[in-house]
Amino acid sequence: MIKYLLGNIDNPNAAEIEEYEKAGGYRALTKALSMEPEDVIGEVRKSGLRGRGGAGFPTGMKWMFAANDPKFPKYVICNADEGEPGTFKDRHILEKNPHVLIEGMAIAVHALKAERGYIYLRGEYPEAEKSLQKAINDAYRKGYLGFPLHIHRGAGAYICGEETALIESLEGKRGQPRLKPPFPVNAGFFGGPTVINNVETLANLPFIMASGADSYLKIGSPECPGNKLFPVSGHVERPGVFELPMGTTLREIIYEHAGGIKNGRALKAVIPGGISAPVLPPDKIDCPMDFVSVQKYGSMLGSGAVMVFAEGTCLVKVAWRALKFFEHESCGKCTPCREGTGWLRSILERIENGQGREGDIELMEDVAGNIAGNTFCPLGDGAASVALNFIRHFRSEFEDHIGTDCRKMAVL
Amino acid sequence: MMTLTINGRKVELEAPVTILEAAKRNGIDIPTLCHHPALELWGGCRMCLVEVEKMPRLQTACTVRVADGMAVRTETPRVVAARKAILEFLLINHPLECPTCDKAGICALQDLTVRYGAVAGRFEEGKRVFPEVVDDPVIVRNMKRCIMCTRCVRMCDGVQGASAIGVIEKGARSHIEPFSGGRYNCEYCGNCLAVCPVGAIMSKLHRYTYRPWQMEKTVKTICSFCGVGCTLRLEVRDESIKRVSAEFGDGVNNGLLCGRGRFGYEYVDSPERLKTPMIRRDGRLERATWDEALDYAAGRLLEIKKENGGGAIGGIAGGRATNEEIYLFQKLLRAGFGSNNIDSIARLGLLPAQKILEDIFGQGAVANLISGIPRSEAVLVVASDPTRTNPVMGLEVRAAARAGRKVIAIGHIDGLRRHRTRRLEAKTGPGQETMIMAGLLSELLKIKPLSGENPEFEEAIKAWGKTLPGPDEVEKATGVSALLISGTAADLKDVSTSSIIAGRELASSMDIRTNMMMLAALGYILNSRIFLISEHPNEQGLIEMGCSPEMLPGERPVDVRTFREKCEQAWGAGINPEAGLTLMEMIEQAGASIKALYVMGEDPAFGLPSRGRVKEALGRLDFLIVQDIFMTGTAAMADVVFPALAWSEKDGTYTNLEKRIQRLKKAVIKEGIEDWRILAEIGKRAGLPSRYRGVADIFREIAQVSPIHAGLGFESIEEGGVLWPYKGKPLSVSSSPSSAAGRFPGSGKAVSISPPPDRNVLKLVLDKPLLHSGTLSTHSDALMDLTGGPEARLCPETGGKLGIADGDAVKVSTGEGQISLRARLESGLPEDALFISNDFREAGAFELFGYQLEPESKTPVLTVQNLKVERL
Repeated sequence: MIKYLLGNIDNPNAAEIEEYEKAGGYRALTKALSMEPEDVIGEVRKSGLRGRGGAGFPTGMKWMFAANDPKFPKYVICNADEGEPGTFKDRHILEKNPHVLIEGMAIAVHALKAERGYIYLRGEYPEAEKSLQKAINDAYRKGYLGFPLHIHRGAGAYICGEETALIESLEGKRGQPRLKPPFPVNAGFFGGPTVINNVETLANLPFIMASGADSYLKIGSPECPGNKLFPVSGHVERPGVFELPMGTTLREIIYEHAGGIKNGRALKAVIPGGISAPVLPPDKIDCPMDFVSVQKYGSMLGSGAVMVFAEGTCLVKVAWRALKFFEHESCGKCTPCREGTGWLRSILERIENGQGREGDIELMEDVAGNIAGNTFCPLGDGAASVALNFIRHFRSEFEDHIGTDCRKMAVL
Repeated sequence: MMTLTINGRKVELEAPVTILEAAKRNGIDIPTLCHHPALELWGGCRMCLVEVEKMPRLQTACTVRVADGMAVRTETPRVVAARKAILEFLLINHPLECPTCDKAGICALQDLTVRYGAVAGRFEEGKRVFPEVVDDPVIVRNMKRCIMCTRCVRMCDGVQGASAIGVIEKGARSHIEPFSGGRYNCEYCGNCLAVCPVGAIMSKLHRYTYRPWQMEKTVKTICSFCGVGCTLRLEVRDESIKRVSAEFGDGVNNGLLCGRGRFGYEYVDSPERLKTPMIRRDGRLERATWDEALDYAAGRLLEIKKENGGGAIGGIAGGRATNEEIYLFQKLLRAGFGSNNIDSIARLGLLPAQKILEDIFGQGAVANLISGIPRSEAVLVVASDPTRTNPVMGLEVRAAARAGRKVIAIGHIDGLRRHRTRRLEAKTGPGQETMIMAGLLSELLKIKPLSGENPEFEEAIKAWGKTLPGPDEVEKATGVSALLISGTAADLKDVSTSSIIAGRELASSMDIRTNMMMLAALGYILNSRIFLISEHPNEQGLIEMGCSPEMLPGERPVDVRTFREKCEQAWGAGINPEAGLTLMEMIEQAGASIKALYVMGEDPAFGLPSRGRVKEALGRLDFLIVQDIFMTGTAAMADVVFPALAWSEKDGTYTNLEKRIQRLKKAVIKEGIEDWRILAEIGKRAGLPSRYRGVADIFREIAQVSPIHAGLGFESIEEGGVLWPYKGKPLSVSSSPSSAAGRFPGSGKAVSISPPPDRNVLKLVLDKPLLHSGTLSTHSDALMDLTGGPEARLCPETGGKLGIADGDAVKVSTGEGQISLRARLESGLPEDALFISNDFREAGAFELFGYQLEPESKTPVLTVQNLKVERL
């Protein structure tokens, strides 16, 4: 199995440019620079690369939209605001293998004839900033970068991972999503055509350019080629980030790569793609992990962050904690998300505290239903879906919890 | 052309508008909260969700544009359920304190709750609470009522351009706060509270004294604080104005107001208002009956006329009088007393400036629409700050800057400092704009191809332009880099439409002719609309109604027989064929050739430079009549005082700086007699028959006498006013460009520009406070709470050199006089300038300024000698 994202991760000096070069680094860039920008875009389109930020949008198509816009200057922004709970995959690239990202950005900047690049880095990743900045400096020193590449550290808002809120924040404004259309590819950063790609997406580019789209298509599943990073957390023996081909089943990820459930306990629930992805019960773990299949199983691949909950976990508490997160991170722009997330949290809180009442579950379903589909951006949908899906799959646990304080029995 | 259906009804549209707009045009109401036509699209409240066929999610009607074949449904059960849900969400944190909220009755949230039905309270946790903030003199914030529509923020940021408020915190804790904390540090336009759909941001004025539905009437009238002529709504109850508002879509201002207009109305109810006529007896002003006062005033004037001739009587009018009053005033002096000694405050700048421009381009040269400013490719603001004097016009300049137009500020234009403008600022204080303008013009003449529309005129300006100082010379004199000047000219090279805004700073200058010729030349080269800033609401009316010694109504020269005859016929009296004395000449002649003065709505003892000398001169008069609403300095010296009515108490018309005639409508009168009646009564006693039943009759007479107003009647001046050229005939000086060259006088001679002032000497500059308009507005409590009192503004560096700290009491003296006031240090001000306004009775700048008459226009040009500033 080829590992091109974190293949050299065991080398303690992997972040050094010399090590990266030794492993073949920056050859893809050299090759890309010898090609016409249009041909680079063509290769990326051909590769079938899909965005790793969560939505799985075809990267080549996004690039084409931006390239076709007659406006200049154009921008490339790397979304490194990795904030989805359970997700810590980009961090490994940023800290341990930053050059693969920088090379990917350089390829993108060339392909899009962009004026400059920005890396919008999660504020809570100070180590990543250090290694990334050093890597950028080294890449300049070695003459790989012919454009300004800036790191911008976020200030801790989850919503700034949403691409238009990210742009607002990068422009110096309050981080809130913008109206779409126009989409960033046509009017993004300060109105210029802007491509925003996730760290992992950009990190796929050196391999695609070096080995060619055809080799890339041989990895992973037909509709979702390539490797995917799966950060696994929760009740497993070996939590961590695993680079595996798209389409690897959830079962394989949990039981083979992550070493199975901790202390041999039974699996109770699993969230396959970060907290916003609907929770799945144990009977769904044969789900292949790619954008298309997970959807068929009633959830979404999202960031690929697998959160594992063993038997004995209080799922009301999990849902409550998730809603507390969404309440805290709601930007406040639209009514349903601003007012509804806190309301859901407060209902869950009283159930969790043993003060739940008859009708609370129905009330939650109703409130969540009023949020879902009515919000400005997907944050509210995510919050509603957490509430709705936990109830959907584990209704009896919620019912049993009404009037009971389970805190003593929870083993987390 | 696109076709769609809304609620099954077929709708055809030319261009893709939003669903909301398409529905509105077809009489279908979709509820909104965060949407506002004047503001950037938002889509946050989710109230306007509608069903669109083939789209799985509900769509926000305010942001989604219609497409051909779209099928929209606006009130399906699913839509109604979603709206109910949104209202429920909004109400879980909204306090139900409607009984004590001044917004109740005109609250959008309340109305929508009524429309969609109240919900059972399912939210049992405590509501979010924020303390009410009452730290500010005029704006109360009640953030627990806020529904986060952010209309106020978008208004402040995207329309007003003040950027004084923002959203603080996030999620359900989000609320609005001024960046300055409790008290606002802003321009106090109050446009934020005007767009608040709920009671979260409200005016403190008349708080808790009325319920909106108890208002007895709402009167749409025109603001009286500057020459823009904003449309206002006065809401009245218990014989007093409770609220001033403006409706979006109305008037020149399109619903926007400035702080003076919105919060400055309280002077109307001031207890200091004059109530009865007064006559000076044994040296003291005593109350008199109307008949006594009218008989006495008319009798004395007739006596003086008999003894000394009509030329011994003069009249001075202010810029807040209506067209009808001004017309009667000049008629009284001309026909009743045979005097052409009649002038007004328009002499201080607007009249002479306009006259020179009209001599070049013809009548109506400055009649341009303010709404055209943001549509111009370039906007030049020269020397005067429109955002201070004509705030709502200033907003259009800011809108132009925001829209990416080329906005060029020549001189220190404070109100544009934080906006995207190219600033041609002299290193040191004001007074060097003529030089900078000359540099720009000479460069433009070099590089910009002329249109060829008027070759003769082009020859004239080219010849004249050769003698203008070039960028290098200008750099030497002013410190503005030659590169910046030539760069600006290059930037303007391809401009095909533009606006130029200038004001009193250029007119009240020994270089007035050069300045206006440069404006004209720039205007021609850049194809500009020229705007002259106007400080008073009816300054234009003063010019058009014949309130000047040389012009009859309709701006017809008094020395032309045919024009005189037309008036003589209508008035039944002869008119002196010789032009009379101008404003300052009358003052200078007081006690000599001028024996009596009639002053209407003006305070020369305060409002004219060289105050000491002016007062002395007024004291030499045999007889002085003052008609005013307060006991001004001049009124205190008068022999007869007539109490006048305030703007909200009168019917009539105002003409704004665009030459748009608009209707002023009476809201409420507590006591008093309309000003026009006072004039008509004196006229009757002087042998002028008066058959007026009301102001409409006076206007009818104006339309007969003044050719430019011919054919106009009150009926035709309703919504939106009447725009130049009205229906009448401009003066027959042809405005065809070919003759313009002939009227570019002095073009044969070299340009003369006064040497720029010495950079090392502190200069006194007449300041224009944003929130005041003459001493009148100092009778409004709210505005006084906002501004405190007179201030001498200077930059911290200069303050440091003079040993003056912020807030220190200082004494400022010149050869003319001295005043004491507080110093205010403000960074960004030019180093060699001290700014003092003439708006506060206790300390006005005209105590310090002397003047010198510009020989041709007789405009008083401000002078200063021996300026000294000391800390007290």
